[in-house]
Amino acid sequence: MPRASAGLLIALLAFASAANADDALQWSGFALLRASNGVERGPLREEKLSAQVQVGIDWTPTPFLGAHLHLLARDDDAGARRGKLGIPEAYVDANFVPAGGRLRLRAGAFFLPTSRENVDALWETAYTITPSALNSWLGEEFRPVGIDAQYSRRGLMAGATIYRGNDTFGALPAARGWSLRDHWATLGEWIPVDAEYFTSVSAENDERLGWSARGSWTGANALLQLTHIDNRADGLAYGRLFNWGTRFDIVSGEYTAGDWTLAAEAGWGPTFLIVDGVKYTTDLKTGYVLVSRLFAHGRATVRGDTFSVNDVDHHALTLAYFWTPPGHFRPGIELATSGGEHRAIIELRYSFAGH
Amino acid sequence: MRRFLLLLLMPSFASAATLVVDVRDARGAAVADAVVYALPEGRQFPPASRTAVMDQKNRTFIPHVLAVQTGTAVRFPNSDDIRHQVYSFSSAKTFQLPLYKGTPANPVWFDKSGVVSLGCNIHDRMSAYIVIVDTPHFGVTKKNGRAEVPTVGAGRYALHVWYPEMKDEPAAVPLTLAAADRKELTVTIRK
Repeated sequence: MPRASAGLLIALLAFASAANADDALQWSGFALLRASNGVERGPLREEKLSAQVQVGIDWTPTPFLGAHLHLLARDDDAGARRGKLGIPEAYVDANFVPAGGRLRLRAGAFFLPTSRENVDALWETAYTITPSALNSWLGEEFRPVGIDAQYSRRGLMAGATIYRGNDTFGALPAARGWSLRDHWATLGEWIPVDAEYFTSVSAENDERLGWSARGSWTGANALLQLTHIDNRADGLAYGRLFNWGTRFDIVSGEYTAGDWTLAAEAGWGPTFLIVDGVKYTTDLKTGYVLVSRLFAHGRATVRGDTFSVNDVDHHALTLAYFWTPPGHFRPGIELATSGGEHRAIIELRYSFAGH
Repeated sequence: MRRFLLLLLMPSFASAATLVVDVRDARGAAVADAVVYALPEGRQFPPASRTAVMDQKNRTFIPHVLAVQTGTAVRFPNSDDIRHQVYSFSSAKTFQLPLYKGTPANPVWFDKSGVVSLGCNIHDRMSAYIVIVDTPHFGVTKKNGRAEVPTVGAGRYALHVWYPEMKDEPAAVPLTLAAADRKELTVTIRK
Protein backbone atom coordinates (compact mmCIF):
# COMPACT_ATOMS: atom_id res chain seq x y z
CA MET A 1 0.00 0.00 0.00
CA PRO A 2 1.43 3.43 -0.84
CA ARG A 3 2.66 5.49 2.08
CA ALA A 4 0.05 8.20 1.44
CA SER A 5 -2.78 5.67 1.68
CA ALA A 6 -1.34 4.14 4.83
CA GLY A 7 -1.09 7.62 6.34
CA LEU A 8 -4.68 8.33 5.48
CA LEU A 9 -5.83 5.08 7.02
CA ILE A 10 -3.98 5.86 10.23
CA ALA A 11 -5.49 9.35 10.30
CA LEU A 12 -8.97 7.94 9.80
CA LEU A 13 -8.52 5.36 12.53
CA ALA A 14 -7.27 8.11 14.82
CA PHE A 15 -10.37 10.14 14.02
CA ALA A 16 -12.55 7.11 14.72
CA SER A 17 -10.84 6.48 18.05
CA ALA A 18 -11.28 10.09 19.09
CA ALA A 19 -14.96 10.01 18.21
CA ASN A 20 -15.39 6.81 20.22
CA ALA A 21 -19.07 6.05 20.84
CA ASP A 22 -20.16 9.46 19.70
CA ASP A 23 -23.10 9.63 17.27
CA ALA A 24 -20.72 11.32 14.87
CA LEU A 25 -19.21 7.92 14.18
CA GLN A 26 -21.29 5.61 12.04
CA TRP A 27 -20.74 2.38 10.19
CA SER A 28 -22.88 0.77 7.51
CA GLY A 29 -22.49 -1.75 4.75
CA PHE A 30 -23.58 -5.10 3.41
CA ALA A 31 -22.68 -8.74 3.00
CA LEU A 32 -23.71 -10.64 -0.09
CA LEU A 33 -23.78 -14.16 -1.44
CA ARG A 34 -23.95 -14.60 -5.18
CA ALA A 35 -24.49 -17.63 -7.43
CA SER A 36 -24.29 -17.69 -11.21
CA ASN A 37 -24.23 -20.13 -14.08
CA GLY A 38 -20.48 -19.47 -14.28
CA VAL A 39 -18.96 -17.76 -17.28
CA GLU A 40 -15.25 -18.39 -17.76
CA ARG A 41 -14.21 -15.62 -20.15
CA GLY A 42 -15.36 -12.54 -21.97
CA PRO A 43 -17.20 -9.48 -20.69
CA LEU A 44 -19.64 -11.58 -18.64
CA ARG A 45 -16.96 -13.53 -16.78
CA GLU A 46 -18.31 -14.57 -13.38
CA GLU A 47 -17.55 -17.21 -10.77
CA LYS A 48 -20.24 -19.76 -9.92
CA LEU A 49 -20.22 -18.77 -6.27
CA SER A 50 -18.88 -15.62 -4.67
CA ALA A 51 -19.24 -13.57 -1.53
CA GLN A 52 -18.41 -10.01 -0.49
CA VAL A 53 -18.54 -7.84 2.59
CA GLN A 54 -18.21 -4.07 2.36
CA VAL A 55 -18.26 -1.64 5.26
CA GLY A 56 -18.22 2.14 5.29
CA ILE A 57 -17.10 3.97 8.43
CA ASP A 58 -18.07 7.63 8.52
CA TRP A 59 -17.06 10.22 11.05
CA THR A 60 -18.95 13.52 10.75
CA PRO A 61 -18.47 15.66 13.87
CA THR A 62 -20.15 18.57 12.03
CA PRO A 63 -21.78 18.92 8.60
CA PHE A 64 -18.68 20.88 7.61
CA LEU A 65 -16.14 18.14 8.29
CA GLY A 66 -16.11 14.41 7.69
CA ALA A 67 -13.98 11.37 7.07
CA HIS A 68 -14.84 8.16 5.26
CA LEU A 69 -13.21 4.75 5.25
CA HIS A 70 -14.44 2.02 2.91
CA LEU A 71 -13.36 -1.56 3.60
CA LEU A 72 -13.89 -4.53 1.31
CA ALA A 73 -13.44 -8.29 1.63
CA ARG A 74 -14.24 -10.89 -1.05
CA ASP A 75 -13.58 -14.57 -1.55
CA ASP A 76 -12.92 -14.26 -5.31
CA ASP A 77 -10.00 -12.01 -6.22
CA ALA A 78 -10.16 -12.91 -9.95
CA GLY A 79 -6.45 -13.71 -9.96
CA ALA A 80 -5.41 -10.40 -8.45
CA ARG A 81 -2.59 -9.86 -5.98
CA ARG A 82 -3.77 -8.45 -2.63
CA GLY A 83 -7.33 -8.45 -3.96
CA LYS A 84 -9.25 -10.26 -1.23
CA LEU A 85 -9.12 -7.65 1.52
CA GLY A 86 -8.47 -3.96 1.20
CA ILE A 87 -9.50 -0.34 1.11
CA PRO A 88 -11.31 0.99 -1.96
CA GLU A 89 -11.71 4.49 -0.50
CA ALA A 90 -10.31 6.57 2.35
CA TYR A 91 -10.77 10.33 2.38
CA VAL A 92 -11.55 13.43 4.39
CA ASP A 93 -14.08 16.09 3.39
CA ALA A 94 -14.29 19.77 4.27
CA ASN A 95 -17.35 21.82 3.30
CA PHE A 96 -17.65 25.56 2.92
CA VAL A 97 -20.62 27.73 1.95
CA PRO A 98 -19.26 30.73 0.05
CA ALA A 99 -21.69 33.04 -1.79
CA GLY A 100 -24.74 30.85 -1.26
CA GLY A 101 -23.11 27.83 -2.86
CA ARG A 102 -21.35 24.75 -1.52
CA LEU A 103 -17.64 24.14 -1.87
CA ARG A 104 -16.49 20.65 -1.00
CA LEU A 105 -12.81 19.81 -0.72
CA ARG A 106 -11.95 16.13 -0.62
CA ALA A 107 -8.52 14.62 0.00
CA GLY A 108 -7.60 10.97 -0.12
CA ALA A 109 -8.57 8.04 -2.34
CA PHE A 110 -12.08 8.14 -3.78
CA PHE A 111 -14.32 7.18 -6.67
CA LEU A 112 -14.78 10.06 -9.09
CA PRO A 113 -18.35 11.20 -8.31
CA THR A 114 -19.65 11.06 -11.87
CA SER A 115 -21.49 7.74 -12.25
CA ARG A 116 -25.22 7.97 -12.94
CA GLU A 117 -25.48 4.30 -12.07
CA ASN A 118 -23.41 3.87 -8.91
CA VAL A 119 -25.58 6.19 -6.86
CA ASP A 120 -25.82 4.30 -3.56
CA ALA A 121 -23.44 4.56 -0.63
CA LEU A 122 -20.14 2.69 -1.11
CA TRP A 123 -20.45 3.43 -4.85
CA GLU A 124 -22.99 0.63 -5.27
CA THR A 125 -25.30 0.60 -8.23
CA ALA A 126 -28.96 0.90 -7.33
CA TYR A 127 -30.17 -0.70 -10.52
CA THR A 128 -28.42 -3.98 -11.32
CA ILE A 129 -26.14 -6.55 -9.72
CA THR A 130 -23.26 -5.79 -12.09
CA PRO A 131 -22.67 -2.28 -13.44
CA SER A 132 -22.27 -1.14 -17.04
CA ALA A 133 -19.02 -1.64 -18.93
CA LEU A 134 -18.13 2.00 -18.28
CA ASN A 135 -18.60 1.89 -14.53
CA SER A 136 -17.17 -1.63 -14.24
CA TRP A 137 -14.00 -0.18 -15.75
CA LEU A 138 -13.94 2.92 -13.54
CA GLY A 139 -14.53 0.76 -10.46
CA GLU A 140 -11.83 -1.72 -11.37
CA GLU A 141 -9.12 0.54 -12.72
CA PHE A 142 -9.62 4.19 -11.70
CA ARG A 143 -9.35 5.63 -8.21
CA PRO A 144 -7.98 9.15 -7.86
CA VAL A 145 -5.60 9.47 -4.94
CA GLY A 146 -5.39 13.20 -4.49
CA ILE A 147 -7.48 16.33 -4.02
CA ASP A 148 -10.91 17.09 -5.43
CA ALA A 149 -12.70 20.45 -5.32
CA GLN A 150 -16.36 20.77 -6.20
CA TYR A 151 -18.42 23.95 -6.19
CA SER A 152 -22.18 23.85 -6.72
CA ARG A 153 -24.75 26.62 -6.72
CA ARG A 154 -28.30 26.81 -8.00
CA GLY A 155 -28.14 23.58 -9.98
CA LEU A 156 -24.76 24.24 -11.57
CA MET A 157 -21.68 22.32 -10.49
CA ALA A 158 -18.01 22.48 -11.43
CA GLY A 159 -15.38 20.12 -10.10
CA ALA A 160 -11.71 19.37 -10.61
CA THR A 161 -9.38 16.64 -9.37
CA ILE A 162 -5.61 16.34 -9.23
CA TYR A 163 -4.38 12.89 -8.41
CA ARG A 164 -1.51 10.44 -8.18
CA GLY A 165 -1.61 6.78 -9.19
CA ASN A 166 -3.71 5.34 -12.00
CA ASP A 167 -0.77 5.21 -14.42
CA THR A 168 -2.06 1.90 -15.83
CA PHE A 169 -5.61 3.23 -16.33
CA GLY A 170 -6.70 2.02 -19.77
CA ALA A 171 -4.99 -1.37 -19.70
CA LEU A 172 -8.11 -3.36 -18.87
CA PRO A 173 -10.40 -2.38 -21.77
CA ALA A 174 -7.50 -2.01 -24.23
CA ALA A 175 -5.55 -5.17 -23.47
CA ARG A 176 -7.80 -7.52 -21.49
CA GLY A 177 -11.20 -6.41 -22.81
CA TRP A 178 -14.27 -4.74 -21.35
CA SER A 179 -16.19 -6.47 -18.59
CA LEU A 180 -19.45 -6.17 -16.70
CA ARG A 181 -18.55 -6.94 -13.10
CA ASP A 182 -18.32 -5.17 -9.77
CA HIS A 183 -14.73 -5.80 -8.86
CA TRP A 184 -13.82 -2.54 -7.09
CA ALA A 185 -10.06 -2.24 -6.99
CA THR A 186 -8.53 -1.78 -3.56
CA LEU A 187 -5.51 0.37 -2.87
CA GLY A 188 -2.35 -1.57 -3.59
CA GLU A 189 -4.15 -4.35 -5.46
CA TRP A 190 -2.62 -5.68 -8.69
CA ILE A 191 -5.23 -6.93 -11.17
CA PRO A 192 -4.03 -9.14 -14.05
CA VAL A 193 -4.28 -7.68 -17.55
CA ASP A 194 -2.79 -10.69 -19.29
CA ALA A 195 -0.32 -13.45 -18.46
CA GLU A 196 2.52 -10.95 -17.94
CA TYR A 197 1.22 -7.54 -16.93
CA PHE A 198 -0.91 -6.13 -14.15
CA THR A 199 -2.85 -2.94 -13.55
CA SER A 200 -3.18 -1.07 -10.27
CA VAL A 201 -4.95 2.10 -9.19
CA SER A 202 -1.95 2.72 -6.93
CA ALA A 203 0.59 2.59 -9.78
CA GLU A 204 2.58 5.83 -9.82
CA ASN A 205 5.55 5.01 -12.03
CA ASP A 206 6.30 8.23 -13.89
CA GLU A 207 5.66 10.75 -11.07
CA ARG A 208 3.26 12.71 -13.28
CA LEU A 209 0.03 13.93 -11.72
CA GLY A 210 -3.23 13.14 -13.49
CA TRP A 211 -6.22 15.45 -13.58
CA SER A 212 -9.93 15.44 -14.19
CA ALA A 213 -12.57 18.15 -14.60
CA ARG A 214 -16.34 17.96 -14.64
CA GLY A 215 -19.39 20.16 -14.83
CA SER A 216 -23.09 19.54 -14.55
CA TRP A 217 -26.47 21.17 -14.72
CA THR A 218 -29.31 19.88 -12.58
CA GLY A 219 -32.95 20.79 -13.16
CA ALA A 220 -36.03 19.69 -11.28
CA ASN A 221 -36.00 16.19 -12.81
CA ALA A 222 -32.98 16.11 -15.08
CA LEU A 223 -29.21 16.22 -15.00
CA LEU A 224 -26.56 16.71 -17.69
CA GLN A 225 -22.89 16.23 -16.94
CA LEU A 226 -19.56 16.39 -18.77
CA THR A 227 -16.35 14.82 -17.45
CA HIS A 228 -12.81 14.74 -18.75
CA ILE A 229 -10.11 12.43 -17.38
CA ASP A 230 -6.42 12.55 -18.25
CA ASN A 231 -4.00 10.32 -16.35
CA ARG A 232 -0.97 11.89 -18.13
CA ALA A 233 0.88 8.56 -18.01
CA ASP A 234 4.01 8.17 -20.14
CA GLY A 235 3.05 4.89 -21.82
CA LEU A 236 6.19 3.04 -20.71
CA ALA A 237 6.64 -0.30 -18.99
CA TYR A 238 7.80 -0.46 -15.36
CA GLY A 239 8.40 -4.07 -14.48
CA ARG A 240 5.07 -5.85 -14.66
CA LEU A 241 3.08 -2.62 -14.76
CA PHE A 242 2.61 -0.98 -18.15
CA ASN A 243 1.61 2.68 -18.10
CA TRP A 244 -1.22 3.56 -20.47
CA GLY A 245 -1.67 7.24 -21.29
CA THR A 246 -5.42 7.70 -21.28
CA ARG A 247 -7.60 10.69 -22.03
CA PHE A 248 -11.29 9.97 -21.69
CA ASP A 249 -14.46 12.07 -21.97
CA ILE A 250 -17.83 11.14 -20.51
CA VAL A 251 -21.23 12.67 -21.22
CA SER A 252 -23.92 11.69 -18.72
CA GLY A 253 -27.61 12.36 -18.48
CA GLU A 254 -30.42 11.40 -16.18
CA TYR A 255 -34.15 12.00 -16.08
CA THR A 256 -36.53 10.99 -13.32
CA ALA A 257 -40.31 11.07 -13.44
CA GLY A 258 -42.17 9.69 -10.46
CA ASP A 259 -40.94 6.13 -9.94
CA TRP A 260 -39.13 5.99 -13.28
CA THR A 261 -35.48 6.73 -13.98
CA LEU A 262 -33.78 7.07 -17.34
CA ALA A 263 -29.99 7.25 -17.15
CA ALA A 264 -27.35 7.18 -19.84
CA GLU A 265 -23.61 7.72 -20.14
CA ALA A 266 -21.28 7.68 -23.11
CA GLY A 267 -17.50 7.77 -22.94
CA TRP A 268 -14.72 7.80 -25.50
CA GLY A 269 -11.05 8.57 -25.80
CA PRO A 270 -7.63 7.33 -26.83
CA THR A 271 -5.11 5.43 -24.76
CA PHE A 272 -1.52 4.71 -25.77
CA LEU A 273 1.57 2.81 -24.83
CA ILE A 274 5.11 2.90 -26.16
CA VAL A 275 6.98 -0.29 -27.06
CA ASP A 276 10.56 -0.07 -28.34
CA GLY A 277 10.08 3.62 -28.98
CA VAL A 278 6.96 3.11 -31.09
CA LYS A 279 3.69 4.63 -29.86
CA TYR A 280 0.59 2.47 -30.22
CA THR A 281 -2.79 4.19 -29.77
CA THR A 282 -6.06 2.44 -29.04
CA ASP A 283 -9.49 4.07 -29.23
CA LEU A 284 -11.91 3.20 -26.45
CA LYS A 285 -15.66 3.79 -26.60
CA THR A 286 -18.47 2.71 -24.36
CA GLY A 287 -21.94 3.74 -23.33
CA TYR A 288 -25.14 2.53 -21.79
CA VAL A 289 -28.79 3.46 -21.43
CA LEU A 290 -30.89 2.16 -18.58
CA VAL A 291 -34.54 2.44 -17.67
CA SER A 292 -35.57 1.57 -14.13
CA ARG A 293 -38.79 1.53 -12.18
CA LEU A 294 -39.04 1.70 -8.41
CA PHE A 295 -41.89 -0.28 -6.84
CA ALA A 296 -43.12 -0.27 -3.25
CA HIS A 297 -40.98 -3.33 -2.49
CA GLY A 298 -38.80 -3.76 -5.53
CA ARG A 299 -36.99 -2.32 -8.50
CA ALA A 300 -36.84 -3.51 -12.11
CA THR A 301 -34.20 -2.34 -14.56
CA VAL A 302 -33.25 -2.96 -18.17
CA ARG A 303 -29.89 -1.73 -19.45
CA GLY A 304 -28.27 -1.80 -22.88
CA ASP A 305 -24.48 -1.51 -23.13
CA THR A 306 -22.15 -0.93 -26.03
CA PHE A 307 -18.35 -1.08 -25.80
CA SER A 308 -15.61 -1.11 -28.36
CA VAL A 309 -11.84 -1.17 -28.86
CA ASN A 310 -10.69 0.43 -32.10
CA ASP A 311 -14.26 0.51 -33.40
CA VAL A 312 -14.84 -3.23 -33.00
CA ASP A 313 -18.24 -3.04 -31.33
CA HIS A 314 -19.78 -5.33 -28.74
CA HIS A 315 -23.13 -5.07 -27.04
CA ALA A 316 -24.78 -6.37 -23.90
CA LEU A 317 -28.32 -6.43 -22.59
CA THR A 318 -28.99 -6.73 -18.85
CA LEU A 319 -32.26 -7.25 -16.99
CA ALA A 320 -32.41 -7.07 -13.22
CA TYR A 321 -34.97 -7.21 -10.44
CA PHE A 322 -34.44 -6.52 -6.75
CA TRP A 323 -37.01 -7.44 -4.14
CA THR A 324 -36.77 -4.95 -1.28
CA PRO A 325 -39.03 -6.08 1.56
CA PRO A 326 -38.81 -4.18 4.85
CA GLY A 327 -35.81 -5.34 6.83
CA HIS A 328 -32.22 -6.07 6.04
CA PHE A 329 -32.37 -8.61 3.19
CA ARG A 330 -32.54 -7.83 -0.51
CA PRO A 331 -32.76 -10.78 -2.93
CA GLY A 332 -31.98 -9.98 -6.55
CA ILE A 333 -31.72 -11.62 -9.95
CA GLU A 334 -29.90 -10.47 -13.06
CA LEU A 335 -29.85 -11.88 -16.58
CA ALA A 336 -27.29 -10.65 -19.09
CA THR A 337 -26.37 -11.56 -22.63
CA SER A 338 -23.46 -10.45 -24.81
CA GLY A 339 -21.88 -11.91 -27.94
CA GLY A 340 -23.68 -15.22 -27.65
CA GLU A 341 -22.79 -15.67 -23.96
CA HIS A 342 -25.52 -15.67 -21.34
CA ARG A 343 -25.19 -15.06 -17.64
CA ALA A 344 -27.68 -15.51 -14.82
CA ILE A 345 -26.91 -14.28 -11.31
CA ILE A 346 -28.93 -14.54 -8.14
CA GLU A 347 -27.83 -12.60 -5.11
CA LEU A 348 -28.85 -12.28 -1.49
CA ARG A 349 -27.70 -9.08 0.16
CA TYR A 350 -27.84 -8.27 3.87
CA SER A 351 -27.49 -4.60 4.79
CA PHE A 352 -26.48 -3.34 8.22
CA ALA A 353 -25.79 -0.06 9.95
CA GLY A 354 -24.94 1.19 13.40
CA HIS A 355 -23.32 3.96 15.38
CA MET B 1 -48.48 31.33 31.47
CA ARG B 2 -46.83 33.32 28.68
CA ARG B 3 -48.12 30.88 26.12
CA PHE B 4 -51.66 31.17 27.63
CA LEU B 5 -51.58 34.97 27.33
CA LEU B 6 -50.36 34.75 23.77
CA LEU B 7 -53.18 32.38 22.94
CA LEU B 8 -55.66 34.88 24.36
CA LEU B 9 -54.20 37.56 22.13
CA MET B 10 -54.52 35.41 19.03
CA PRO B 11 -57.49 35.99 16.73
CA SER B 12 -60.04 33.21 16.95
CA PHE B 13 -60.96 30.99 14.02
CA ALA B 14 -64.54 32.21 14.33
CA SER B 15 -63.48 35.53 12.86
CA ALA B 16 -61.24 33.91 10.26
CA ALA B 17 -60.56 35.46 6.89
CA THR B 18 -59.14 33.68 3.87
CA LEU B 19 -56.22 35.02 1.92
CA VAL B 20 -55.56 33.86 -1.65
CA VAL B 21 -52.25 34.91 -3.14
CA ASP B 22 -51.34 34.60 -6.82
CA VAL B 23 -47.59 34.74 -7.39
CA ARG B 24 -46.35 35.72 -10.85
CA ASP B 25 -42.95 36.41 -12.34
CA ALA B 26 -42.12 39.58 -14.29
CA ARG B 27 -43.52 38.03 -17.50
CA GLY B 28 -46.79 37.13 -15.80
CA ALA B 29 -46.11 33.38 -15.61
CA ALA B 30 -47.37 31.45 -12.60
CA VAL B 31 -44.68 30.71 -9.98
CA ALA B 32 -44.99 27.38 -8.18
CA ASP B 33 -43.24 26.56 -4.88
CA ALA B 34 -43.35 30.14 -3.60
CA VAL B 35 -44.00 30.51 0.13
CA VAL B 36 -46.49 33.19 1.13
CA TYR B 37 -46.98 34.03 4.77
CA ALA B 38 -48.80 36.70 6.74
CA LEU B 39 -47.06 38.14 9.80
CA PRO B 40 -49.46 39.95 12.15
CA GLU B 41 -48.55 43.43 13.30
CA GLY B 42 -47.95 43.75 17.03
CA ARG B 43 -48.67 40.14 17.83
CA GLN B 44 -46.64 36.97 18.25
CA PHE B 45 -47.63 33.36 17.97
CA PRO B 46 -46.38 30.65 20.28
CA PRO B 47 -44.13 28.05 18.66
CA ALA B 48 -46.02 25.29 16.89
CA SER B 49 -46.06 21.77 18.29
CA ARG B 50 -46.68 20.10 14.95
CA THR B 51 -44.86 17.54 12.84
CA ALA B 52 -44.24 17.84 9.13
CA VAL B 53 -42.66 15.46 6.63
CA MET B 54 -39.92 15.88 4.01
CA ASP B 55 -39.78 12.61 2.08
CA GLN B 56 -37.08 11.33 -0.27
CA LYS B 57 -38.10 9.23 -3.24
CA ASN B 58 -36.21 8.38 -6.43
CA ARG B 59 -33.46 10.76 -5.25
CA THR B 60 -35.88 13.66 -5.00
CA PHE B 61 -36.97 15.55 -1.90
CA ILE B 62 -40.76 15.68 -1.71
CA PRO B 63 -41.93 18.41 -1.47
CA HIS B 64 -39.31 20.64 -3.05
CA VAL B 65 -40.39 23.49 -0.77
CA LEU B 66 -41.85 22.86 2.66
CA ALA B 67 -43.19 25.73 4.78
CA VAL B 68 -43.54 25.23 8.52
CA GLN B 69 -44.17 27.36 11.56
CA THR B 70 -41.35 27.95 13.99
CA GLY B 71 -41.23 25.12 16.49
CA THR B 72 -42.28 22.44 14.02
CA ALA B 73 -40.54 19.06 14.06
CA VAL B 74 -39.82 17.65 10.60
CA ARG B 75 -39.40 13.95 9.86
CA PHE B 76 -37.17 12.86 6.99
CA PRO B 77 -38.33 9.40 5.86
CA ASN B 78 -36.31 7.77 3.09
CA SER B 79 -38.72 6.03 0.71
CA ASP B 80 -35.89 5.02 -1.63
CA ASP B 81 -34.14 1.68 -1.92
CA ILE B 82 -30.78 3.39 -1.40
CA ARG B 83 -29.24 5.36 1.45
CA HIS B 84 -29.38 9.12 1.88
CA GLN B 85 -27.50 11.54 4.12
CA VAL B 86 -29.46 14.75 4.55
CA TYR B 87 -27.61 17.91 5.59
CA SER B 88 -28.09 21.64 5.96
CA PHE B 89 -25.39 24.29 6.24
CA SER B 90 -28.00 27.03 6.71
CA SER B 91 -27.75 29.28 9.75
CA ALA B 92 -31.45 28.80 10.52
CA LYS B 93 -30.68 25.12 11.23
CA THR B 94 -27.34 23.44 10.69
CA PHE B 95 -27.60 19.67 10.91
CA GLN B 96 -26.69 16.38 9.30
CA LEU B 97 -28.57 13.10 9.59
CA PRO B 98 -26.62 9.85 9.57
CA LEU B 99 -26.54 7.78 6.41
CA TYR B 100 -29.85 5.93 6.54
CA LYS B 101 -32.74 4.04 4.98
CA GLY B 102 -36.28 4.07 6.38
CA THR B 103 -37.25 6.74 8.89
CA PRO B 104 -34.83 8.14 11.47
CA ALA B 105 -36.08 7.74 15.01
CA ASN B 106 -35.95 11.42 15.86
CA PRO B 107 -37.32 14.29 13.80
CA VAL B 108 -35.41 17.55 13.42
CA TRP B 109 -36.81 20.47 15.38
CA PHE B 110 -36.84 23.83 13.56
CA ASP B 111 -36.85 26.42 16.32
CA LYS B 112 -35.66 29.50 14.44
CA SER B 113 -37.25 31.30 11.50
CA GLY B 114 -35.39 31.44 8.21
CA VAL B 115 -34.67 29.40 5.12
CA VAL B 116 -32.98 26.01 5.35
CA SER B 117 -31.39 24.67 2.19
CA LEU B 118 -31.26 20.85 2.18
CA GLY B 119 -28.93 18.55 0.31
CA CYS B 120 -27.79 14.94 0.34
CA ASN B 121 -24.13 14.09 0.76
CA ILE B 122 -24.48 11.01 -1.43
CA HIS B 123 -26.52 12.60 -4.20
CA ASP B 124 -25.42 16.07 -5.22
CA ARG B 125 -28.44 16.55 -7.46
CA MET B 126 -30.89 16.46 -4.53
CA SER B 127 -31.97 19.82 -3.15
CA ALA B 128 -34.97 21.23 -1.30
CA TYR B 129 -35.93 24.03 1.06
CA ILE B 130 -37.64 24.31 4.40
CA VAL B 131 -38.98 27.79 5.08
CA ILE B 132 -39.63 28.41 8.77
CA VAL B 133 -41.96 31.30 9.52
CA ASP B 134 -43.17 32.92 12.75
CA THR B 135 -46.83 32.52 11.90
CA PRO B 136 -49.33 29.72 11.33
CA HIS B 137 -50.73 31.66 8.36
CA PHE B 138 -48.74 30.46 5.39
CA GLY B 139 -49.09 28.53 2.16
CA VAL B 140 -47.03 27.25 -0.76
CA THR B 141 -48.12 28.06 -4.30
CA LYS B 142 -49.21 25.25 -6.59
CA LYS B 143 -48.47 24.92 -10.31
CA ASN B 144 -51.06 27.61 -11.05
CA GLY B 145 -49.10 30.03 -8.86
CA ARG B 146 -51.87 30.27 -6.27
CA ALA B 147 -51.75 29.57 -2.56
CA GLU B 148 -54.61 29.75 -0.13
CA VAL B 149 -53.79 30.89 3.38
CA PRO B 150 -56.81 29.94 5.46
CA THR B 151 -57.91 30.93 8.95
CA VAL B 152 -56.29 34.32 9.05
CA GLY B 153 -57.77 36.30 11.90
CA ALA B 154 -59.05 39.83 11.44
CA GLY B 155 -56.37 42.46 11.84
CA ARG B 156 -53.36 44.02 10.17
CA TYR B 157 -50.68 41.88 8.55
CA ALA B 158 -47.57 42.11 6.46
CA LEU B 159 -47.64 39.63 3.60
CA HIS B 160 -44.24 38.17 2.65
CA VAL B 161 -43.26 36.04 -0.31
CA TRP B 162 -40.20 33.82 -0.66
CA TYR B 163 -39.12 31.82 -3.68
CA PRO B 164 -35.95 29.69 -4.11
CA GLU B 165 -34.59 31.48 -7.16
CA MET B 166 -35.80 35.02 -6.66
CA LYS B 167 -33.20 37.78 -6.94
CA ASP B 168 -34.43 39.74 -3.95
CA GLU B 169 -37.33 39.41 -1.59
CA PRO B 170 -40.12 41.80 -2.57
CA ALA B 171 -41.22 44.36 0.00
CA ALA B 172 -43.86 43.07 2.38
CA VAL B 173 -47.44 43.92 1.37
CA PRO B 174 -49.47 45.55 4.18
CA LEU B 175 -52.91 44.00 4.59
CA THR B 176 -55.93 44.72 6.71
CA LEU B 177 -58.32 41.83 6.98
CA ALA B 178 -61.83 41.95 8.36
CA ALA B 179 -63.63 38.99 9.87
CA ALA B 180 -64.76 36.42 7.31
CA ASP B 181 -63.02 38.40 4.60
CA ARG B 182 -61.79 36.67 1.45
CA LYS B 183 -58.99 38.67 -0.03
CA GLU B 184 -57.26 37.83 -3.30
CA LEU B 185 -54.12 39.57 -4.44
CA THR B 186 -51.30 39.11 -6.93
CA VAL B 187 -47.63 39.47 -6.08
CA THR B 188 -44.95 39.80 -8.74
CA ILE B 189 -41.43 38.56 -8.02
CA ARG B 190 -38.14 38.92 -9.90
CA LYS B 191 -36.67 35.47 -10.60
